[in-house]
Amino acid sequence: MARIVGGLGTSHVPSIGAALDKGLRDTPEWKPFFDGYLPAREWVREHRPDVAVVVFNDHYNALFLDRVPTFAVGCAPEYHPVDEGWGPRPIPPFEGATEFAWHLLDSLVENRFDPEIIQEIKVDHGLQVPMELFWGRPSGSWPVRVVPIFVNVLQYPIPLPARLYELGQALGRAIESYDSDERFVVLGTGGLSHQLQGARAGFLNREADQRFLTEIAEEPGKLAGWSRQRYIDTFGGEGAEVIMWLVMRGALNPEVVVRHRHYFAPASMTGAGMIVMENA
Amino acid sequence: MEEMEEMEEPDRIPDTPLLDRPRQLRGYRLNKMAMGLGDPANRAAFRTDEPAYLDRYGLTEEEKAAVLARDWREMVRLGGNLFFILKISAVDPIRITEIGAHQAGMDHESFLRDRLGKKE
Repeated sequence: MARIVGGLGTSHVPSIGAALDKGLRDTPEWKPFFDGYLPAREWVREHRPDVAVVVFNDHYNALFLDRVPTFAVGCAPEYHPVDEGWGPRPIPPFEGATEFAWHLLDSLVENRFDPEIIQEIKVDHGLQVPMELFWGRPSGSWPVRVVPIFVNVLQYPIPLPARLYELGQALGRAIESYDSDERFVVLGTGGLSHQLQGARAGFLNREADQRFLTEIAEEPGKLAGWSRQRYIDTFGGEGAEVIMWLVMRGALNPEVVVRHRHYFAPASMTGAGMIVMENA
Repeated sequence: MEEMEEMEEPDRIPDTPLLDRPRQLRGYRLNKMAMGLGDPANRAAFRTDEPAYLDRYGLTEEEKAAVLARDWREMVRLGGNLFFILKISAVDPIRITEIGAHQAGMDHESFLRDRLGKKE
């Protein structure tokens, strides 16, 4: 059966991609941020995952308000970068792991999750940036195939944190019941604290971010029990999207080992967190 | 309009506009206009004749004035969501931290220092 080799968490701030595009990687502003990911890149090279399930949200680049799926699973053969206003970014398209995606849909529905099924879609920085941070930008094709899970974290009502944790548990069962010897990683993306609009714009909560990085490993059930309002209060209006990490964490065992962890603030306007965990 | 009245209610979390039902309804046209800027042909149309581009989406005079003035706080007040209206900055560049400072009612330098904790 397929195996989960790790759970990866990271912020997906668009300015990170823009910094790479503009060649700012080694500037004083960005170098400490990117250097913090070097051990995680090494971990990915060692563990050679075949498939990355990426839990993220579209930021109204590929999806509009006319149809808002709460959960959606991508079953497409490939995912091209979307034009977010500056033209599509110059990175290779992502190859989809279509067979697993359909297995995941079967398995989720049998476990009473009913996501939208997406056959053709482009992907924005929410997926691109985490892939570039953990794998580096490849000169040819990406060395891993992806299955995107889209979560609505912008149009209220957004799903409950507890529901996302349960979705992760169902995802974990789907991977472990998949007849294959492929190696999987699950990526939870978004956050940590930031707020981009309203008079509280620029809100950051470094202490809460650091605590989150500890508790996502040690006490995920506690974080799953928080209300949405508490996430907004603690992490900011846009930072509440960090609930998507709960899907990744739910896919892992209750006991995990933290291999790497990094925090840098602010990346643009965001407290940027990273974690690499393995099942204990 | 019903949704206009609903917008008069305060946000449930102070100073934190969420894309809830009244905002989604109120901002739909404005957000759809900004979503259009993901297409290069629309960006060209916006650059060539901005009021005409805004008219294509049926924006009210109040909404048009907010966009033309790059009044970010007002655009958000009218139901604009940042992830949409940010695309305006792809056509008419401005840093996201400047948009943030404007909404917080602070000058850029104070915003970077006091809100984001940047030294300099």
